[in-house]
Amino acid sequence: MVRRHKGTVHTDRHGGLRVRAAGRPAHRVPINAAHATPQQNRRMTPPANEPLVLALPKGRIADELRPVLDHVGIVPEPAFDDPKSRALQFATNRPDVRIIRVRSFDVATFVAFGAAQLGVAGNDVLMEFDYPELYAPLDLGIGKCRIAVAEPADMVETDDPSRWSHVRVATKYPEITRRHFAARGVQAECIKLNGAMELAPGLGLCRRIVDLVSTGSTLKANGLVEIEHIADITSRLIVNRAAFKTRHDEIQGWIDRFREATLAGQT
Amino acid sequence: MIDGADTTLARKALLPAGLNDLLPQDAEHEAKVVGRLMKEFHKNGYERVKPPLIEFEEALLSGSGAALAHQTFRLMDPVSQRMMGLRADMTLQVARIAATRLHKAARPLRLSYAGQVLRVKGTQLRPERQFGQVGVELIGSLRPEADAELVLLAANALAAVGAAGVSVDLTLPTLVPIVCQALGVVGEDGKDLRAALDRRDAAAVKDLAGPHAPLMLRIMEAAGPAPAAVERLAAIDLPPEAEPERRRLTAVVKLLTDAAPALALTIDPVEQRGFEFQTGLSFTVFAKGVRGELGRGGRYRTGGDPGQGEPAVGFTLYTDTVLRAIPGPEAPRRILLPHGTPRDAAAALQADGWQTVAALEPVAEPLVEARRLGCGHVFQDGRAVAV
Repeated sequence: MVRRHKGTVHTDRHGGLRVRAAGRPAHRVPINAAHATPQQNRRMTPPANEPLVLALPKGRIADELRPVLDHVGIVPEPAFDDPKSRALQFATNRPDVRIIRVRSFDVATFVAFGAAQLGVAGNDVLMEFDYPELYAPLDLGIGKCRIAVAEPADMVETDDPSRWSHVRVATKYPEITRRHFAARGVQAECIKLNGAMELAPGLGLCRRIVDLVSTGSTLKANGLVEIEHIADITSRLIVNRAAFKTRHDEIQGWIDRFREATLAGQT
Repeated sequence: MIDGADTTLARKALLPAGLNDLLPQDAEHEAKVVGRLMKEFHKNGYERVKPPLIEFEEALLSGSGAALAHQTFRLMDPVSQRMMGLRADMTLQVARIAATRLHKAARPLRLSYAGQVLRVKGTQLRPERQFGQVGVELIGSLRPEADAELVLLAANALAAVGAAGVSVDLTLPTLVPIVCQALGVVGEDGKDLRAALDRRDAAAVKDLAGPHAPLMLRIMEAAGPAPAAVERLAAIDLPPEAEPERRRLTAVVKLLTDAAPALALTIDPVEQRGFEFQTGLSFTVFAKGVRGELGRGGRYRTGGDPGQGEPAVGFTLYTDTVLRAIPGPEAPRRILLPHGTPRDAAAALQADGWQTVAALEPVAEPLVEARRLGCGHVFQDGRAVAV
């Protein structure tokens, strides 16, 4: 978000604007934020509201989300669909709406702190972080998968989960994992990985993993079997709490449009 | 910033997480803002009290205070050998004063306070563990007029310090528990459902509420700008036990919209977070574009448990968030007084609103010296000369 600062402004070597206010640390503001709006669309839209930032995740949900955006009436600039583009934020057909593209875990963080007002995140992210400043008013019904415990196929026959007192698990979701096992009286020691969990059992890092499973083919390819289901996952529209309170009509309007788009997508 | 090479100084500068120093201008600014808020409370008949920083643990954390037990620093009193707690919130201290030393004072009793609190852990939005609270308590009245007085007082006090885009969100933290109880959704299910409603997680509400899902979702959707949302809430068929709650909300909204039509007022009948000791209508103050809450307040009982003590309503504003919602400090009008300037000249300038800075020895270039010391002016030939 571009904020006005008293003080000097100059371009730094990373291509951002460095704004130095007296006595405060420098903030870097991305340079394309100021003039990214396509001029040709400006005429067609009603007078601009306050800027609205929509945070969208990179990766697997992005494709499923595209028709939803179309239905809602948000058309991102062409760079959004260009896989070679390295831009992180995108103008849209609406001068007041900007899209940022970040990792799915970061969507929740941006929205929780009010840096973005709306976002799309799986309930895996919401369960892991449990951010009190997030509302999740709408299940978009896309990005369907599940979060599950898996272990090597050859271990399944001899393993008796009811005898466990301690498990070591490789996962991107240490909170969910700890909670899941604690609920049945098992202490989980989590090894936090950021990807490629499926490698861990084969290389002896640990024997079990907790990860997202959609088709199960990645597990299978790595000789793993799903042994416990933790939760079903879908993508949710998430909303910053303060924005929901202070810009209610506008935010509720977007929720309603996303709801219509979701219903249209399901029929 | 401290020179990285000087590790001893750097070690001294490092403060524990969540604690910080306020430096010139910011410290002054905070004190002024607190003073301005307190003045607004004073003008409306609220009298200031000052409870101590530390109290005996069992008094501080009894009854409603139990909700704050996990946020309270404790230390042993070497004199009495009893455990003491450092206040994590001032409301209950003021309620204690009202119930004990001021129990004979005429009701309704209007008290105000300002002070610092300390918490064991910061939150996501407020990592600070020490921050200021400025607030009021109105003790001994059940009237909706009392609720309305406090909402208006909070809004007016914030306007007085220059906060823009302020909006007040009225909530009924007891409504959802009452409805759940009436419908027989109790125990763990009730707890999960209340949490899902608090997060406005429509999918989870649908799962957890079962046959009551349509009702719960309608209550959840009766949120937003006040008069319209109150009408939506009025149209819902609530269990009779919930009727007094709804009636109070309707009455307070009516009082507020009559008294201050321009006030940005929203309602949210399902929000319950952070209202651990509230027993009825509560409110949260937000400002557009400001992270976090400027303040919150609501109904409670001075005795702690429902049915005990007196009915009371209060609110507290958090100085750190309030400061983010208002314009920053104005640069002071500082003037350098050259060495030997008569004291009465200094007094006259001070009476005019100048901040005078006396040179302790003669200097060759007063203009250069003034700039070095952050003064915009020098006192020369009996007048202020800009540098």
